[in-house]
Amino acid sequence: MLTAACGGSDSDDSESTGGGSAGGDLRIYSSEPAFLVPSAADDEPSILVVRQLYRGLVKYDQEGAPQLDVAESIESDDNKTWTVKLKDGYTFTNGEPVDADSFLRSWNYAGNVSNAQNNSYFMGRIAGFDEMQKEGVKKNATFSGLKKVDDLTFTIELTEPFSGFESVLGYSGFFPMAQECVDNFDACNKQPIGNGPYMIDGEWENNVQIKLKRNEDYAGEDAGKPDTLTYRIFDDVEAAYAAFEGGELDVMYTVPPNKIAEVEQNYGETLLKEPSSSFTYLGLPTYDERFQDPKLRQALSMAIDRQAIIDAIFDGSLAPATGFVAPNFDGAREGICEYCEFDEDAAKALYEETDGIEGPVELWANAGSGHEEWLQAIGDGWKNTLGIDYKLKVDITDFGQYLKVADDKKFTGPYRLGWGPDYPVMETYLAPLYTTGASSNNSGYANPEFDKLIQEGDAADSLEDAIPSYQAAEDLLAEDMPVIPMWWGLTTVVWSDNVAEMVHNPITDVDYGQITMNN
Amino acid sequence: MGRYVVRRLLQFIPTVLGAIFLLHYLTSLGIQLGGNPVRAIFGDRRPTEAQMNAMADSLGLGDDCLTRVGDPCVGLYFDRLQSIFLQFDLGSSFTGRPVTDIIADGLSATVKVVVIAIIFEILVGITAGVLAGLRSGSFIDYLVKISTVLAISVPIFVLGFLVRDMFLVNVGNWFRGGDWPDWFAYGVMSPVYKPDYPWASLVIPGLVLGSISLATTARLTRTSILENVRADYVRTARAKGLPQRRVIGVHTLRNSLIPVVTYIGIDFGALMGGAVVTEGIFGIPGIGREIFRAIQQQQPSVVVGIVTVLVLVFLVMNLLVDILYAVLDPRIRYD
Repeated sequence: MLTAACGGSDSDDSESTGGGSAGGDLRIYSSEPAFLVPSAADDEPSILVVRQLYRGLVKYDQEGAPQLDVAESIESDDNKTWTVKLKDGYTFTNGEPVDADSFLRSWNYAGNVSNAQNNSYFMGRIAGFDEMQKEGVKKNATFSGLKKVDDLTFTIELTEPFSGFESVLGYSGFFPMAQECVDNFDACNKQPIGNGPYMIDGEWENNVQIKLKRNEDYAGEDAGKPDTLTYRIFDDVEAAYAAFEGGELDVMYTVPPNKIAEVEQNYGETLLKEPSSSFTYLGLPTYDERFQDPKLRQALSMAIDRQAIIDAIFDGSLAPATGFVAPNFDGAREGICEYCEFDEDAAKALYEETDGIEGPVELWANAGSGHEEWLQAIGDGWKNTLGIDYKLKVDITDFGQYLKVADDKKFTGPYRLGWGPDYPVMETYLAPLYTTGASSNNSGYANPEFDKLIQEGDAADSLEDAIPSYQAAEDLLAEDMPVIPMWWGLTTVVWSDNVAEMVHNPITDVDYGQITMNN
Repeated sequence: MGRYVVRRLLQFIPTVLGAIFLLHYLTSLGIQLGGNPVRAIFGDRRPTEAQMNAMADSLGLGDDCLTRVGDPCVGLYFDRLQSIFLQFDLGSSFTGRPVTDIIADGLSATVKVVVIAIIFEILVGITAGVLAGLRSGSFIDYLVKISTVLAISVPIFVLGFLVRDMFLVNVGNWFRGGDWPDWFAYGVMSPVYKPDYPWASLVIPGLVLGSISLATTARLTRTSILENVRADYVRTARAKGLPQRRVIGVHTLRNSLIPVVTYIGIDFGALMGGAVVTEGIFGIPGIGREIFRAIQQQQPSVVVGIVTVLVLVFLVMNLLVDILYAVLDPRIRYD
């Protein structure tokens, strides 16, 4: 605590006694994380723990803009080569310094295909990625684009310029790793060695709980507030809700969907409800010649009454999509997708102009996740408005198998899929999904003009300058409609009376370490 | 007796090998027909071939035979046997957790619930059965008959949800507001499993899990007692002038328990695997939930590992039951 850290001079050293509200044991609902190591953790429950155990170069403010965290400065003249300087005085809980090596080591480890790390995808912009992803690459291979300058400085060279790269760096996959962690991955996964405001207490008790205690040596400005964070692990969100009602939990991030009305009534004061950034869409297989006419795709979209479906099937708990980028993202525009508006007459008129489509159209979704009902509502709408026969094709239960159909471009009709953002730049909703041949482009959409606009945006001088290009690209989508945007999910957090102040970030969700507790 | 046990133990070997092969073949066939489950790990992002292969190799699913439909993957089977029996390595899950750890952790919770269920079954079930059987047609008999029908006819998940949401949450909150000891208000009355009270918080789930078997046990005991009180040897015992307690407690009960012991023995194995519903409702980190998840995510080593252990538990329980027969009924000999 006495380390002369350069950062945080504006907030006085009141980390452990701040405001008299620090302390307490915060009990949190969680489902079982997959991993607690930054290079592998890519699912929500893992990241919510990892963000308390580790800290990265930047964090996000309430507007979703990146703010320096462990980094002293991140600079680039051309958005291609970035120079990162780190703050001095930070250490891992095992005593290793948080230096340039700790970041490079983590990224090299994650990006190396031989290590089979879930977050390798996110290293894709760093120069040398292709070599790192060749089959049989050596375990100690490193990115050609990552260079250490001195202990606290390193440079990152990207394959292509990207104006939003600083934002990307706040993703937990870019957090640093101690040497001890890379040397013994399994041990570090069970008993993480972090550099964050909290450290593990004991070890990860799989399927039972993860206990964290405040890291008293943490040199950063926002030290943890509760003494301990206990993530109680549940398989079933309804069992967790029973625990919450029985006073066993303080914060429940994600209320069971069928309990929302009840929760609103009982805990209205301590319930947070806002549109989330998770996107559900109905993709159209443009590789199938029946779906190649944009007018047909527009007509199909216009014949869907999103609000009615949401009200009837989801208790009004979702927000209808009127664009391709989450509404809370910088650059998102309300109502950009004019064909997302329900208009039977216009849909009919558009459909008349096409050659029509021969039914029955097959509607695809993975089974066992409750998608039948709303797909059926869409099909009925098409039948009534456009006179198209439909058939549900919801018979694959295994999601991997369903994704395989997507990979092989074997969908024979509109298909359900979703998308969540990787970082708070609107590009994350565009490039991976619609660029020609991109890794999540399942519709087969290929528009050179779109690709060019994305590239232009990436190469812009700043994120601000990039937005017009991204918006122009989104305009193209709104005209071509390779996918039919359906709706945005809902973030729900409910907390108990033990919580004095809830702290929620639009990008990283609940910040458990910053919550203050009563008494 | 000793030779009998050895012979039975030897019979375990082909049973276990066969079970492992069957599981191995089914899981392999699943992968051959449905594609490599590794794909799901990447989610919406399509992996490159190199990424897929690296991930499959790291999880032991990279063998080529897994792409040939119908191939029994004999090589993989022997690799698996070798690592199981020579290195005691059951492989690991998709998140790198050793299957031995998964089993050890899961079993410790499941065995606790099952033991509570069985104790409950034995104490309450047999007592109720004996009382009902001895006083056939009495109030107690009707009470036992009606309540057991009720217990058998309510599906366990209905009972579980009722107990959790009505009793443990609402009634529990009342207790938690009062001056009751912590182990009771926060342990026994906790709506879900609680690591701080590993036994207390499992008492109610154990009762729920054991409820159906308890009803069956009571009915079996009752019928068996009814049959035996009229048997010749009981009449002889009475004629000799033995006191009632000895006639019932030693002679009648001992013989009547044979079908009950068979049932409870088999039930132990069935409850181990069947606890999945109870485990889900009460958030118990048990083996049933693990296997359910492993099947859903198609994790072959976890499925093979857990089921093999369950098969062993079953075999051992059956052996114990058979040995108990000889103890209960002197006419049965195993030599």
